[in-house]
Amino acid sequence: MQDMFNKYLSLRRKILVVDDELINREVLGNIINSDYDVLFAADGDEALKIIRKEEQTLSLIMLDLIMPHIDGYEVLRSMQNSPNLKRIPVIVLTADKSAEIKSLELGAADFISKPYDMPEVILARVRRLIQLAESYAMLNRTEFDALTGLYNIEFFWEYCSRYDIFFPHVQTDCIVININKFHILNELHGREYGDMILKTISSFLQNTVAKKDGFACRRSDDTFYVYIPHQPDYEQMISDLESYIQSAAGNARISLRIGIYTRTDHSEPINSGFENANTACSRGRSSYKTVITKYDNALHEKELYNERLLQETDKALQEKQFRVCFQPKYKITGAVPTLTSAEALIRWQHPTLGMISPGTFIPLFEENGLIHKLDHYVWDETAANIRAWKDKYGTSVPVSVNVSRMDIYDPNLEQELLGIVHAHNLTTSDLLLEVTESAYTDNSKQIIRTVEALRADGFRVEMDDFGSGYSSLNMLSDLPIDALKLDMGFVRNICVNEKDMKMVNLMIDIAKYLEVSVIAEGVETEEQYLRLRNAGCDIIQGYYFSKPLFPDDFEKLLVNKEWKC
Amino acid sequence: MLTIEKLKAFGANTEEGLKRCVNKEDFYLRMVNKALEGDQIEQLSSALAEKNLDKAFELAHTLKGVLANLALTPLLEPINTMTELLRSRTDTDYSALLLQSQSKWTELKKLAE
Repeated sequence: MQDMFNKYLSLRRKILVVDDELINREVLGNIINSDYDVLFAADGDEALKIIRKEEQTLSLIMLDLIMPHIDGYEVLRSMQNSPNLKRIPVIVLTADKSAEIKSLELGAADFISKPYDMPEVILARVRRLIQLAESYAMLNRTEFDALTGLYNIEFFWEYCSRYDIFFPHVQTDCIVININKFHILNELHGREYGDMILKTISSFLQNTVAKKDGFACRRSDDTFYVYIPHQPDYEQMISDLESYIQSAAGNARISLRIGIYTRTDHSEPINSGFENANTACSRGRSSYKTVITKYDNALHEKELYNERLLQETDKALQEKQFRVCFQPKYKITGAVPTLTSAEALIRWQHPTLGMISPGTFIPLFEENGLIHKLDHYVWDETAANIRAWKDKYGTSVPVSVNVSRMDIYDPNLEQELLGIVHAHNLTTSDLLLEVTESAYTDNSKQIIRTVEALRADGFRVEMDDFGSGYSSLNMLSDLPIDALKLDMGFVRNICVNEKDMKMVNLMIDIAKYLEVSVIAEGVETEEQYLRLRNAGCDIIQGYYFSKPLFPDDFEKLLVNKEWKC
Repeated sequence: MLTIEKLKAFGANTEEGLKRCVNKEDFYLRMVNKALEGDQIEQLSSALAEKNLDKAFELAHTLKGVLANLALTPLLEPINTMTELLRSRTDTDYSALLLQSQSKWTELKKLAE
């Protein structure tokens, strides 16, 4: 590449000399032909023909002004009207000072007076002008994006920093604009169409943003950056942009995602401002309508925190940073509440972040598929604890574990659970399986098949969060379940909201109709407990009886299974 | 045949003329000969006779450029004066200037024979 470039630099440039007088052409040609290839034209008409033919290779035009038919001014005018010809520098050959202003207005770059008194000066001026024009063309080519005419990113950064130097106290906005599913647009309508959309957006940005003293660049394929003095509201501008795009887009629906970050501290690097705008922009992803998202620092901190948790999960599982604890469930149908089972719950004891609530990491793991690994870990730890209690005390209670929505779709689920049971020399009755109600409504046929198989193996299945999903009464009667676990939201409010109590009564009636037991979790007060007992609830779990306990504490309950107030 | 000496004797500023031709004597003399092949003086005379001042200006202007480049001073002087008058399309009697030009042109042509 460098070789090619050097070769290009050493090439003899081509110059066109235009003069209607042969002697003048020859004299000037004789001055410059030592260093340049020289073409000649005797009038404006011939000159324009040569210029159009040689537009890629001409480095300079030396142009007489007064010529018959098409004069030098007309040649300049024609060149000005053509973007391709405009780039070729023109030296006007004149003895007339008054012609200089008009020529300059028409794009002439320099003048040489007739007669040609100083040939070496003429050569030097020709050389300098060609160098300047080539440097400018090179700069121009790198400064602007070839397709859209917006700045390229390097120049954009440069103009941003200059802006900050000249206007240090102006609050600015970093805006990232991205086209939703641009690759699909390209595939459906062709690259030319995609390019047309990019050019449409660019043209809007060039006009609108400049009016507000901002500037724009094309960052990558379908991403635009805008740096602009802070505006309180972009709704109107974006709505105008959408209409502008739609008028060019035809039938295709095009939507944008836009991220905005307001920069208050100019000492902060400009690119981190745009990273923040990018973060905001990515939140509007997958939307079919245009979404404007303003950067929210707290949300970003949360994202970073979540990302850290995700990255450290495998290590945490290996190091057993996750600790399983057990919340007892008491049967309340007899004279005194009796320990009947427990629910395995998880805590993350992080070495530097401290205790992390499951409310933080479980939704995250569910989103990322890590929940399956965590569930497996809990099943195994739970089974190990049950085994230990049986060995130590000769007794234990069944413990319910969560089977997440994702586990249900795992074709190996049954084998996995049986494997754990056998590995710890337990029976399937030692593990209760909790499946959330909404999982049933996702794909009821598949889940019913899976649950039926598990029940056939001897596992008992509890429907968790009952009342929060959308089970139809018709579906409920077919469900292969052993217990309904009322959604905590209802239980929490039974003493403050009579409607919730009525709902609980209804759910208990359904359970009775289905001939399955009813479990209430989240029971914290005596009043809640009494209401539930009176309503016919079978099993209670909650802080009223006990908080979740780590294994050492839980095993003390196994010695005396009755609950003591 | 033209030589530098003959041109010098005619009154041309050959030093200037040669400098403009990058000191190539052959080239300089060739250009002067070429200039003498034309009939611009006659054309200029006709244009003035027809009172076509636009055409007369174009012709005088072109001729002025050539003569200046070749530093043919005795010819350049009357043509230069005519060019400036014609630039503003001055309708005046050009016969004396024209006569001076024609006489110098003829003189130079004779030198070239």
